[in-house]
Amino acid sequence: MNPFQTYDARILEIKELTPREKLFTLRFVDPEINKEFTYKPGQFVIVDIRGFGEFPISLCSSPTRTGYFQLCVRRVGRMTKYMHKLKEGDIIGIRGPYGNGFPMEEMEDSNLLLVAGGLGMAPLRSVLWYALDSGKYKQIYLFYGTKSYEDILFRDEIIHLLKHGEAMNCRVKLAYEVESPSCIYLEKGFAPKVCKGVVTDLFRGEELDVENTYALICGPPVMYKFVIKELLDRKLTPGRIYMTLERRMRCGIGKCGHCIVGTSTSIKYICKDGPVFTYWEALSTRGLI
Amino acid sequence: MRYVKLPSENFEEFFNSLKSWGTVYAPVKQGNIYSFKQVNTLGEVSLNYTRTMLPPKKFFVHPKDTLLKLKNGRWEESKEVEKIVLFGVHSCDIHGLQILDKVYLAEPIDPYYKNRRENAVIIGISCMPDEYCFCKSLGTHFAMHGFDLFLHELPDGWLVRVGSVKGHEIAWANESLFEEVTEEDLKHFKEFEDKRSASFKKHLNKEGLADMLDLAFDSPVWKKYERICLGCGNCNMVCPTCRCYEVCDYWINAYESVRVRRYDSCFMETHGLVAGGHNFRPTRLDRFRHRYYCKSYFDPSAGFNCVGCGRCDEFCPAKIEHVKVLDEVREELK
Repeated sequence: MNPFQTYDARILEIKELTPREKLFTLRFVDPEINKEFTYKPGQFVIVDIRGFGEFPISLCSSPTRTGYFQLCVRRVGRMTKYMHKLKEGDIIGIRGPYGNGFPMEEMEDSNLLLVAGGLGMAPLRSVLWYALDSGKYKQIYLFYGTKSYEDILFRDEIIHLLKHGEAMNCRVKLAYEVESPSCIYLEKGFAPKVCKGVVTDLFRGEELDVENTYALICGPPVMYKFVIKELLDRKLTPGRIYMTLERRMRCGIGKCGHCIVGTSTSIKYICKDGPVFTYWEALSTRGLI
Repeated sequence: MRYVKLPSENFEEFFNSLKSWGTVYAPVKQGNIYSFKQVNTLGEVSLNYTRTMLPPKKFFVHPKDTLLKLKNGRWEESKEVEKIVLFGVHSCDIHGLQILDKVYLAEPIDPYYKNRRENAVIIGISCMPDEYCFCKSLGTHFAMHGFDLFLHELPDGWLVRVGSVKGHEIAWANESLFEEVTEEDLKHFKEFEDKRSASFKKHLNKEGLADMLDLAFDSPVWKKYERICLGCGNCNMVCPTCRCYEVCDYWINAYESVRVRRYDSCFMETHGLVAGGHNFRPTRLDRFRHRYYCKSYFDPSAGFNCVGCGRCDEFCPAKIEHVKVLDEVREELK
């Protein structure tokens, strides 16, 4: 078995989420692989655009919904530009899933607090769906910080949850930075769940049952420190703070060395030991956040 | 371990017999440097070499390595494996290969590396340290395993340690060339090792090294060397344990493409750069320090990620000395 070999997957659907992000729904061409393919929320795959290169991307669908999987791809570099040019029906290569993923079983019967910033919504959507579908979690909170109305990923789903989330034990809150008529409409319609500000502003006025809550964070590098401070101020144990991190993962299997972080006492491969880490690990591995 | 003696007069015949096990590569002097090259006769080999510029890792992780070939829209595995005999590998380099084994043979196994490892015979040779060597400090100056045969110099031949089944097979096939080891041979062997042990000029203080470095994250020594370091990545290329690689796809023609990996260096600005422009190690300071942290990482099961071969010192155009940097960091912390 060559771990660098990728498997054909057909693009079933492409949905434009924002001017920069597209949602690709995929299925493996080989039905056997399709049947065997499963993953944990928080894991990622390596996308192979043959003849052009590979790049890692987190899975944003949930393993509870079988027969397909989804990738939310932001057009930021050379490879993602190629990806955005693809059409429905095209075939790409996929290998994975890689990484450890979130410990969904360990968190059962607890509250989940998902804190997402920007594109960090993609891997956390996998957790959100998983939690909603399985029904094994108490209260689910989603705090989502976005730049503007146009940048809200999975906008339909977010608005649906703003409207009907409470009935599913799911409380969604949204913070935006750039004002626009659409945002003001949202703010009026869903006060106080939508506000202008950054994601940490969403903690205001929320009572967290710290004994019984796990926090799951994903966002741009700058976000972690602020969100973690907010959680620690509320006395959440570091072991209950999970975060999923980004690095330059080339191989995905702990060989190429690009995603190594840490110092002489603790070296971690983000692709193999992560990308999900607890805050305890961040305390003992310098450079993790 | 099985020990046999190879008398000097049989050495050449033994060397020639190795060709039946694969293409023989051995250290050859080229100008001022040594290099593992294909050899046909013993005369071409520099037995008293100090160190080659590129370590033997080049045979297992090629500087430029084709992983997959795209044919008719499908990736095909590139499966060319050559049977080789690496003759004259020093102990530190054998340890270096074992560190690479830990990475490439961990699950999921890298099939290219594994194939090449399985198709290679490693014949070690004893050596004398020069001013750059500090393998003794790291315990890599003597190889207990990781070789098929290891030749230790005696006044009238070689004491041969047989380190693997393949080594036994080679010794078996050449049974007539070997003799029993005598008490005197053992005496000479011990004398050589004692002399060698006393010849090291450079010592690395590895006591609490990993913790010491971790505490010295903000040491001014890093900043001093950041200004001296050229960021060229030479130290990575010549290091027997550096293994970072980059992957690229190339088109051969309109229908065929290859996926190639090549050596990468953590001194390159692109090493920690992700799409979107965020760099997790944006400054040379970050990158310089990272290399020292990576090399001095201590794994309880395998030791440090450095084998003390001295290549990074010898081939550093800025004359930065690995041990000196670590000593200065330690000194600054006191």
